[in-house]
Amino acid sequence: MSNLLQEIEAQIAGVKTSVAKQNVGAVREIGDGVAKIEGLTDAMLNEMLDFGNGVTGLALNLEETEVGAIILGDYTSVKEGQEVRTTGKLLQVPVGKGLLGRVVNTLGQPVDGKGPIKNETSYPVEKIAPGIIRRKSVSQPVQTGIMAIDAMIPIGRGQRELIIGDRSTGKTTIGIDTIISNARLNKAAEAAGDKEYRPLYSIYVGVGQKQSNIARVINVLEEAGAMPYTIVVVASASDSATNQYLAPFAGCAMGEWFMDNGMDALIIFDDLSKHAVAYRQVSLVLKRPSGREAYPGDVFYLHSRLLERSARLNEKYGNGSLTALPIIETQLGDVSAYIPTNVISITDGQIYLETDLFYQGVRPAISVGLSVSRVGSAAQIKAMKQVAGRIKLDLAQFRELAAFAQFGSDLDAATQAKIERGKRIVEVFKQPQYNPISVEAQAAILWTAQNGYFDDVAVEKIKDCQNKLTEYLTTRKSALMAKLAKEKALSDALTAELKAAVTEFKQTYK
Amino acid sequence: MKITKQARRDAKQLFRSCLLNGLLDENRVRQVVQQVIAQKPRGYLAILSHFQRLVKLDVARRTARIESAVQLPENLRTGAQTNLARRYGPGLNVSFMQNPDLIGGLRVQVGSDVYDGSVRARLAALAEGF
Repeated sequence: MSNLLQEIEAQIAGVKTSVAKQNVGAVREIGDGVAKIEGLTDAMLNEMLDFGNGVTGLALNLEETEVGAIILGDYTSVKEGQEVRTTGKLLQVPVGKGLLGRVVNTLGQPVDGKGPIKNETSYPVEKIAPGIIRRKSVSQPVQTGIMAIDAMIPIGRGQRELIIGDRSTGKTTIGIDTIISNARLNKAAEAAGDKEYRPLYSIYVGVGQKQSNIARVINVLEEAGAMPYTIVVVASASDSATNQYLAPFAGCAMGEWFMDNGMDALIIFDDLSKHAVAYRQVSLVLKRPSGREAYPGDVFYLHSRLLERSARLNEKYGNGSLTALPIIETQLGDVSAYIPTNVISITDGQIYLETDLFYQGVRPAISVGLSVSRVGSAAQIKAMKQVAGRIKLDLAQFRELAAFAQFGSDLDAATQAKIERGKRIVEVFKQPQYNPISVEAQAAILWTAQNGYFDDVAVEKIKDCQNKLTEYLTTRKSALMAKLAKEKALSDALTAELKAAVTEFKQTYK
Repeated sequence: MKITKQARRDAKQLFRSCLLNGLLDENRVRQVVQQVIAQKPRGYLAILSHFQRLVKLDVARRTARIESAVQLPENLRTGAQTNLARRYGPGLNVSFMQNPDLIGGLRVQVGSDVYDGSVRARLAALAEGF
């Protein structure tokens, strides 16, 4: 009770203090979530404005006689002539581990009906990216659990890797698979009491997505047990353009908290094409000059300042990291459109998904020729480097030779062998969705394929053989797999052991 | 009415010509309006409309409104006026108003700056705090 009395006394004392200066203005025009406000001579850029009745806005345009502000939340209650006050604060969102397992909106308010979020810290939505002094080059891997990516387009912690492709080619699935894979690794490390393992927390930001799609993603994450390590930030298609514009920045602030506190986080922006469209809408309503395809002139800066916030910090600054997987949807495979080229140039590589491959049954439909990871190979584990080093080249050669083979001319034995090997590698890389594979299993499978143990298996039976081999290795040769996972490299002894295991398996496989 | 960039520029120039020692001169403003109406340059209505807006904003910037629950005694009025002149410089139009809704205390507004020392504002702040 005495605490309560002290609290009330403190509140009253606070009110008694001298009169503070406030800066006010009046709404001159309101529409489409954007208000023009007269007055507010002291407003700062990106400052939060108080419209009263719990409605807040963000000052985006500071003009000679008025201020252009976007309204967060319900703008229909704002009326012309209404009084608006400056708050002296920048837009902030709650951050911290309390958000894990929760679904929140752009302002960090829960939308999953699981009650209020316990947090003690808030971070500004807009923040300057870490400078070069604080950074370190990428050196630790992000295991996506997708063999084609982990082998050929490896991603490192702190990297920005774009996932680009047409509609329904499996872009979101790659992101979800990565979240699930890392949640499994986190869980396994927790269960084993591995102190050296650095858990990777995930943030999924849905921008302009259908609510049904977001619900499906949440459902998949819950079923896979990945939600305890994941934050979902939602600004669906039915949210205002202002919320859609701010959602990636809010998600990024949540990820930065993990990075600043020496932890690793992964953020998926699904997708930045819709984010650019939302920003275009806000800019046009604010009457900012438009440029190419009616996007404002600073649409490049919008994405570059967002993605630049992903980084790997050095030991002096906590050794944390924030990995970004932005998603871009192309129209009819046109990667040379405005927003795709912008984001391609900002990121450290891209995973390009092709519609044709998808419908040929090659899933994930990754186009090996157009996909690249500029920094990730430094983060790949040694065992993977040993087995996957030549695979990209083999596949490229296979595609070239396969194109020639279509003419039906006779081929020499070496070319035939290369084509047959290529077909098998393509089969090996096929993987069902939400089914990540551990890195040691990936290394063992790729070693088997590279060393010709699949050559005598019919192409249509490769998948069956691969699954049975994985099962055999994980159940009957678990000690070997554990050793491979621990050593992270294929030593001569380990190679001999793996060779014996695969030979033994091949004798029994029919 | 659509106000073109050119009209805005012209109105701004006219507005600047009405300033005398940094303060708006009423006679010059009247002269400008009469001259523009007499000469009728291209888009003169838009120019005048924007000119009026600029004048309105400047007048608002230089207007101090002092609200109180009861009528203020003369010595308090002069005290408030001198304090405001010291802070915002000369040329301030001060108007006094009575507003019983304030319950007690003063609410002073100069342009977009508000100093709210009324009982109503303090009660509102207290309600927000709880």
